[in-house]
Amino acid sequence: MNKPKEPVFPLRPPSPKRGKLRIPSKLRSIQLIITLTFTAVTVAVAVIVSIMLYGKFAKTAEENANLNMQQIIEQVNYNLELYVKGMGSIFATAEKQITSSPSIDSPLLNERMDTLMSSREDLVSVAVFTPQGQYVVGTPGQNLRLNTGLESQSWFTTAKRTSEISYSAPHIQNLFRGRYTWVVSISKLIQYQENGELRTGVLLLDFNFRTIDQLSKQVKLGKRGYAYILDPLGNIVYHPQQQLIYAGLKYENVEPVLEYAYRSYLDESTGEKRFITVRTLAQTGWKIVGVAYYDEIVTTKRDLNQFLAWFLGVVLVCVIAVSVFLSWLIASPIRKLERTVKQVAEGDLNTPINVSGAYEVEQLSKRFNMMLQRIRQLMDQIIYEQETKRKGELEVLQSQINPHFLYNTLNSVIRLAERGKTGEVVTMIQSLSRFFRISLSKGKNIITIQEELDHIRHYLVIQSFRFKNKFRYEITAQEEVLQCQTIKLILQPIVENALYHGIEMLPDEGLISITAELQDGLVIIRVSDNGLGMSKETMNVILSGGVKSTSGSGVGVRNVHERIGLYYGREYGLSFQSEIEEGTVVTLIFPARPAGEGMEEQKEEMNP
Amino acid sequence: MRSLRVWLTILLCGVLWISVSSCFNASPAYISTSKTRNIHLVVKMNKGDYWNTLKLGAEAAAKEFNVNLTFKAPDSESDIEEQIVMVEESIKEKADVIILAASSYMGLAQVVDQAAYSRIPVISVDAEVGSARVRSYVGSNGYEAGQKSAERLIELLKGYGEIGILNFTNSSPDQGPGSTGSIDYGARDADEREKGFLNYAARYPNVKVVQISYTSSSTSEAESLTREMLEEHPGLRGIATLNEIASQGAAKVIQSAGKGYLKMIAFDSSPSMMESLQDGTVQATVIQNPFSNGYLAVKYAVEALEGMDIPERVDTGTKLIDLENMLWPENQKLLFPFVR
Repeated sequence: MNKPKEPVFPLRPPSPKRGKLRIPSKLRSIQLIITLTFTAVTVAVAVIVSIMLYGKFAKTAEENANLNMQQIIEQVNYNLELYVKGMGSIFATAEKQITSSPSIDSPLLNERMDTLMSSREDLVSVAVFTPQGQYVVGTPGQNLRLNTGLESQSWFTTAKRTSEISYSAPHIQNLFRGRYTWVVSISKLIQYQENGELRTGVLLLDFNFRTIDQLSKQVKLGKRGYAYILDPLGNIVYHPQQQLIYAGLKYENVEPVLEYAYRSYLDESTGEKRFITVRTLAQTGWKIVGVAYYDEIVTTKRDLNQFLAWFLGVVLVCVIAVSVFLSWLIASPIRKLERTVKQVAEGDLNTPINVSGAYEVEQLSKRFNMMLQRIRQLMDQIIYEQETKRKGELEVLQSQINPHFLYNTLNSVIRLAERGKTGEVVTMIQSLSRFFRISLSKGKNIITIQEELDHIRHYLVIQSFRFKNKFRYEITAQEEVLQCQTIKLILQPIVENALYHGIEMLPDEGLISITAELQDGLVIIRVSDNGLGMSKETMNVILSGGVKSTSGSGVGVRNVHERIGLYYGREYGLSFQSEIEEGTVVTLIFPARPAGEGMEEQKEEMNP
Repeated sequence: MRSLRVWLTILLCGVLWISVSSCFNASPAYISTSKTRNIHLVVKMNKGDYWNTLKLGAEAAAKEFNVNLTFKAPDSESDIEEQIVMVEESIKEKADVIILAASSYMGLAQVVDQAAYSRIPVISVDAEVGSARVRSYVGSNGYEAGQKSAERLIELLKGYGEIGILNFTNSSPDQGPGSTGSIDYGARDADEREKGFLNYAARYPNVKVVQISYTSSSTSEAESLTREMLEEHPGLRGIATLNEIASQGAAKVIQSAGKGYLKMIAFDSSPSMMESLQDGTVQATVIQNPFSNGYLAVKYAVEALEGMDIPERVDTGTKLIDLENMLWPENQKLLFPFVR
């Protein structure tokens, strides 16, 4: 793990800077890569979508709020217009009554003025003054104060200057005893009759702020927003915090407002963003100004803000959780596989690989498992084969000098000797001697077919004495096949089998024929008998070792089959053809190899 | 390694969250009005235009800052004991802030210390109190106001003559009915005004302050005190009154006695004083800014609760108003509260 990694591109000259910046291998794990990529992509998408949504919604909300505010101010403007018109018409009525009255001091006029005063709550006083500032007439019960200074008051001077109806700025009405009231004065130069003479005078009507207050107070522009009214000179006619402004505790930036008659704009002069909407009253030139706090009228914007912040947070957490989980899901089987493979590599072939997860990983693990199984199988096979080989060789060694066979044979010899059949004894002993010589064959495992056939011939000679010529035999072989190699003692167990199981119980004379031939580079040796034959079941189990001959040389038919298989390959060996009561044909097939080939190694192998 | 990765992830999340949320949220710059605060306003007296206007200002601020304002005042300006009881009650009721216009500089000192001990900030308005624990003082400079009054009166008298002063709540133990029981200290503002006036008048050798009378808080008492003064000193040429009640009483006497030659400088701007000013009984009046006093006291109280730094002393100013300038627009705004 700690050895330095190979560079990804070994041919590229490694720059020292690159080397330092190289990402550590731990950070290149699948899980981390998946997690980071997934998170980054999702968050990026979420942020982009949020920003786009926010922009869209915010703009709409802003426009709506702005429009709404303009409508409200428009409404106030309309109401005030009506009110000012009403004041104008009251003024006109008063003027008409005064002008049409035959004398200014007539009781009828007095009475009418009184009615007028009592009809309106917002009417403070009505009075007529001469252009010199002398009091002429007014509503009854009013006592003029001293030192009023009315000649210099704006309503008086303006009325004298123009013949139009004029509206004053808010001011204190100090003319009459009683209270000092904040009023707006309407004044105009009018004609009146006194003592039959036509004179000019100034008619004054004072209105208090009751109605204007009521009209403006209803304006709700958000929680902190408000509306105020300015006169053309910038004096505040109405303001929800009028006294605070008068006391100098608050300040309203009216300069930009005065420049426009009809406008909506965003003001930042106080440090806070505020929407200002200005409308102008036609008759008086008063400006109605709506002020709404930007952050308030666009509360939707802030709500949206908050929502999006939360949304993004939740998305982020979810995405990270999901991506961590997902990458874990993908990476963990691979990591498990990696760990297992490492274990296998360290030599533990029995490690089971049961990795579940993605299809590919599962397949990979399955295949790897199969590979491992095959390796195990092959190793088992090698072990088994080695074991069988040694066992077979041991058995062969044992069979080379079979004491039982020797004993039986010697018994037969003794019997022949007793009967004085010297010639036969000689033949028998000769055969036995040759039999054993070939059996041992100086410890060689490989002999020629010639020798093998001789070996079996001697065996058959011996056995024919013992079985008292109960059978005949014939051995035929092609000339070419005789010099081919064979592993030794492959025919004797088969013949022995044929004798003991096929012919011994046969009432008639038996026949064993052995043929050897070369065919397509293969040696084919057939051992046929006309004995009892065997059933299919016996044939099927005979090579798998199900039947073990109880008598005989002990070198089983199966042993022969396995030795051929081990030496020449699995495709070679024995095959049986048999019919009950007809006989059996055993065919041995193995590749032909001329004598003298591979003898050396065989020798070495035989003498460990 | 694994835990490191977890921490790394959490850190990343945190950084992202902070950066995202900081993009969207900016705290508003105005004082939060989401929670209601209990502020107790204890002034000297529950009647008089001056205190009404101050209350109006306080109420305006209370409305603006979502304050639950409790207004308390004794019946009389000289009722120090009652005022002490009221502050004690406010402490018991666990007011968030107490705003106090102390009737006695020393008399209220102890109870203010007590409030500070209960962790209730105290802001004094109009009249200071003898405690170091007061967070802020909102009001006018009494000494300066006294000097202004003296300056104009002496100017009107052309620099000579006898002057009588009508002040309120006595500062010396043996004089006047203002002293009650063991507490013998007067209100700080009264004290300061008198000092200012006397110090200014002392520059003029021909000007003699022949009498200083102290009224408690009723107009009728002020009237009788003025009458006494006029009888005692027939050569009196000028009168200076140093608070609203005294001014009203003196003006009434001068008008009814027909002593038009007497020059008088009044104090504060009640409507009746304006009437007197306009009809020439009173030549000038020194006005304070009660509306601002009330408003600013509450505003600073709220700011103090918010943990902001508030100024130790706020001078809302005084102004001399006479017939000539009383109708100037800016003075109209000061003199006549815009009451709806």
